[in-house]
Amino acid sequence: MAKAKADTKYIICNADEGDPGAYMNRNEIEGDPHSLLEGMIIGAYVMGATEGIIYVRAEYPLAVSRLTKAIEQAREYGLLGANILDRGFNFNIQLVQGAGAFVCGEETALIASLEGQAGRPRPRPPYPAQRGLWDKPTNINNVETWYNVAPIVTRGPAWFAETGSAKSPGTKVFSLVGKIQNTGLVEMPLGTPLKSFIYDIGEGAAPGRRVKAVQTGGPSGGCIPVEMLDTPVDYESLAQIGSIMGSGGMVVMDEDNCMVDVARYFIEFTHSESCGKCVPCRVGLNKALRILNAITKGSGTREQMNLLDELGRMIRECSLCALGQSAPNPVLTTMRHFREEYEDHIVAHRCRAGVCQELALSPCENSCPLRMNIPRFLELYQEGRLEDAFESVILDNPLPASTGRVCQHPCDNRCRRQSFDEVVNMREVHRFLADAIYQSDLFEPMLERIRARKLAPTGRKVAVAGSGPTGLTAAFYLAMLGHDVTVFEERSEAGGMLRFAIPEYRLPKSVLRKELDLIEGVGVKMVFNTRIGFDVPLNELASQFDAVFLSIGTWKESWLYLPGTELKNVHPALPFLESVARQEKVVTGARVAIIGGGNAAIDSARTVMRMGASATILYRRERQDMPAIDEEIQAAEDEGVRFVFLAAPHRILGGADGSVKAIEIVKTRLGEYDKSGRRRPMPTDEVQRFECDSVILAVGETFDQDFCRASGLELKEEGTIIVDRFTYETSRPNFYAGGDVITGASNVSNAMSCGKQAAQKMDERLMGEQRWERIFPDFEYSRTAPGEPSLSRRHAAHDLPAALRVRSQQEVVAGLDPKEALEECRRCLRCDLRATVTAN
Amino acid sequence: MPTKTISVRIDGELVTAREGQSILEAALANGKQIPTLCYLKGLSAVGACRVCMVELAGTDRLLPACTTPIQEGMSIKTASAKLTQYRRMAVELLLVERNHICSACVSNGHCELQSLARSLGITHVRYSYNNPRMTVDMTHPRFVLDQNRCILCTRCVRVCAEVEGAHVWEVASRGIYSRIVSDLKDDWGKASNCTGCGKCVQACPTGALAEKGLSVMEMVKQSDAVSRLATQRASLVNGAR
Ligand SMILES: Cc1cc2nc3c(=O)[nH]c(=O)nc-3n(C[C@H](O)[C@H](O)[C@H](O)COP(=O)(O)OP(=O)(O)OC[C@H]3O[C@@H](n4cnc5c(N)ncnc54)[C@H](O)[C@@H]3O)c2cc1C
Ligand code: SF4
Ligand code: SF4
Ligand code: SF4
Ligand code: FES
Repeated sequence: MAKAKADTKYIICNADEGDPGAYMNRNEIEGDPHSLLEGMIIGAYVMGATEGIIYVRAEYPLAVSRLTKAIEQAREYGLLGANILDRGFNFNIQLVQGAGAFVCGEETALIASLEGQAGRPRPRPPYPAQRGLWDKPTNINNVETWYNVAPIVTRGPAWFAETGSAKSPGTKVFSLVGKIQNTGLVEMPLGTPLKSFIYDIGEGAAPGRRVKAVQTGGPSGGCIPVEMLDTPVDYESLAQIGSIMGSGGMVVMDEDNCMVDVARYFIEFTHSESCGKCVPCRVGLNKALRILNAITKGSGTREQMNLLDELGRMIRECSLCALGQSAPNPVLTTMRHFREEYEDHIVAHRCRAGVCQELALSPCENSCPLRMNIPRFLELYQEGRLEDAFESVILDNPLPASTGRVCQHPCDNRCRRQSFDEVVNMREVHRFLADAIYQSDLFEPMLERIRARKLAPTGRKVAVAGSGPTGLTAAFYLAMLGHDVTVFEERSEAGGMLRFAIPEYRLPKSVLRKELDLIEGVGVKMVFNTRIGFDVPLNELASQFDAVFLSIGTWKESWLYLPGTELKNVHPALPFLESVARQEKVVTGARVAIIGGGNAAIDSARTVMRMGASATILYRRERQDMPAIDEEIQAAEDEGVRFVFLAAPHRILGGADGSVKAIEIVKTRLGEYDKSGRRRPMPTDEVQRFECDSVILAVGETFDQDFCRASGLELKEEGTIIVDRFTYETSRPNFYAGGDVITGASNVSNAMSCGKQAAQKMDERLMGEQRWERIFPDFEYSRTAPGEPSLSRRHAAHDLPAALRVRSQQEVVAGLDPKEALEECRRCLRCDLRATVTAN
Repeated sequence: MPTKTISVRIDGELVTAREGQSILEAALANGKQIPTLCYLKGLSAVGACRVCMVELAGTDRLLPACTTPIQEGMSIKTASAKLTQYRRMAVELLLVERNHICSACVSNGHCELQSLARSLGITHVRYSYNNPRMTVDMTHPRFVLDQNRCILCTRCVRVCAEVEGAHVWEVASRGIYSRIVSDLKDDWGKASNCTGCGKCVQACPTGALAEKGLSVMEMVKQSDAVSRLATQRASLVNGAR
């Protein structure tokens, strides 16, 4: 541009910061307007420009007033105007306020707007440097660039290139916002990996949350999944993964963000800011938005998803200006990295984040893996209809008393009542309802009533392998749907981990017994002491049954390399807990060390305490990283279990007699964040020794792959059975699988949800029609929002005092009483009525 | 000043072009066809419809032929599977954006949108129709503007401003809400600057602008004549420079 010959040349500062949520330029201008002028004056001098224009948003009144003042001052000092510093250099700066159209951030649209025309881009070339404002050579740069001029001139380009990466030198200011603990403006060298922004500066997600993605570059940036946070933040690397640097926006998202909705939101924005000049951006974005709207409302199709992909590419490659060319980034990247979320919306009408309201009855229903109609049973009980409330519960969740005790209750996470005081205690209410029926003479009539809802016998035979929560749930629904169901169980009793792993003091076996009575009561046949794949080969099942459901859980201990595991009194957790559950005589020592951080570790420790020994849990990370349910950790602490965190097992030391004497651990420190968003424990030099006479290894479970040998079942690398995500079909025809055996060790309600959905899909396949809804009655209940929901606080279950409860296997948490349960129901805000309310 | 001659490749063939020509002009001058819609010879090119996209050989970049100046050594591909796909999509998008009901249109059989759709082999559209409610301006004594059929190519805007010098037409609003408006967003019949020359009608590629009193298929446009006028005027202006 310096070489261009013209009577007038312009330089322009683009301060039309239009990205929602971005405010770095504003901050810079408000804080130090003179440095901007300095940069522009130097630029003008070098390029031979006589006129400078700062195009600033009218929405920044303080920036405007401070800049105006700074320009006046510069004039007074002779730094602007005629013959600046006696160099014969004339230069003036003028301030122009933009009306706030996003597209005016595009340089040619900005120039059009300065010329008094509508802010629509025009094709380049000619570039502004050849023909810009009023057809004169024009240099246009962003605020940050102008701020960089003076320091670079003072200290030299080499200094500038010292920071940043080879291709993108220097620093950049970012606005870091969203689901992290620290938000704000940050200036970082280019090339800094994304995870430094999110974890080192942002300090990660809120406690108990996980970062899922980060969107860079403002509304037309791409979404980068947490697995790719190693990506350095520079222009090339971001472009490579479908995103942009843009103005430096960074929005962090967690599991409460629906990626389809995120794409929809940004397309809505760029669509409404499209100038309308070219077809791909004007009409293409409109079509993309309509498709995304359909998907978030549950009426999208796979075909539309392909159209969306095709549209995205076409808009990106064919649009006239950068707005259109970059607008599809959020769609294309979310479709690439979060395809499963799109499929969930389309195939299962499911929005796990609970954002897409049309796909959920209420936040709690959406968060419950079994998708229980929670407001319904709360309302029914409130109306004094215990039996109806129970019927509603049992048809949604065939193990309401067990889940009422051990479910990790994700239903709480998004309950709207928490914005007012505390979440509704839904788990305790369904536990109460179940207990109320099971412990009264209402049980038999109730069973009769449920049996009456069974569909007529279909003549189809289904086998279920494994009687854990998954198998029981599938069996219950299949029986309700009229099929002839037989459950084969390796052990002598039904219940899986509910029976043989989760201890009596948390889930009394008498409670489980009632649930089993009910499930058997609707016609499920049980065959015990029969190991599928061994006692009965899969081929035999295949020939005798129309469909087979595999739900054998994960009962095999993960292998842990640790010197000393061969010593006497070193037990894997599951066999230990199982022996206790069978009331067999188990000998542990007086001082027991437990390695692990999951439910099995906590349950082992609490069981050990009940055997009169002391228990110490050794865990490699910190308490908040423990996968066990938080209340259980708390309960264990209360009962006197000792916790040593940041401790990785090193070796078990034994005496001459082969018995355990002590365990050595290596202290760890938390290093880099891994892909799960948790910090990786790194060994230090410090070794600690704990005296003990017994060790329990609770380091995880897998499933016994011998089962699958020559069975035609395909497995994932980590050893779980591969199924279709939506139909639960395995690679072998007519064989389905669900629960821990497909997910790896998980939890009861997740496992049951597999059983429930698989039963629905198996029925559809067996019968060739959708019959699922037929087993549910039409419950009549109030559909008006409560005028005044109860103002009372949350009713929690009643813990037995710790000192008392460690002495016995007695259930440690007593449920709500009828009055409390009723009051708890009245606290519900009836989010399910939203649709009715808006319709009025 | 005589313009420089440059050599370029179009679809592999070595041809010459004049510096300053657009890719489209160079292609046409060498007997190559590139589909266009918003382009009208003689008017300034705006690059709105994007059906003239071509490939820059050796890169994955697409360029609009009508607005990109051709440069020494460029190698251009005017046809490929991807180009056909994108061109089709652009036309499909135009077909669903407003209400193009050919069977009831004065321009049926003489419409550039229709014939482009046909030559691209479009037999149906895969996107849902927007079915917007659109107005028809019948206030002008001789002409009619049917927004249902407008594809926002802005040929009317340009011919009126650049050739007739009347500046009757402009695009109002933005994005999907963009509309052609006359004068100060008044009825066309009230537009005091309209000379009634009818150039916009003749330049319009679809049935959006038409003469009154015609029935289905009867509107045959004289866009070539308008284009000749425009070209003459453009060379006058350039010559005067
Ligand atoms: C100690 C411990 C505590 C836990 N605490 C909780 C908690 O508080 N809350 C929670 O939600 N989750 C908890 N869990 C996890 C939860 O128990 C499991 O996720 C759930 O039970 C999985 O259900 P499933 O039906 O898939 O498998 P399982 O419950 O394991 O059932 C599988 C059944 O299949 C049988 N089987 C195995 N192989 C064969 C074969 N070849 N043929 C026939 N039968 C076979 C087994 O005997 C078993 O009965 C806990 C787990 C453990 C180990
Ligand atoms: S890409 Fe969009 S913003 Fe750019 S010119 Fe086309 S319509 Fe306008
Ligand atoms: S099953 Fe679990 S998630 Fe569902 S309502 Fe009960 S406690 Fe909540
Ligand atoms: S009225 Fe005709 S010429 Fe004018 S923009 Fe619409 S389609 Fe183009
Ligand atoms: S003809 Fe080139 S964009 Fe319309």
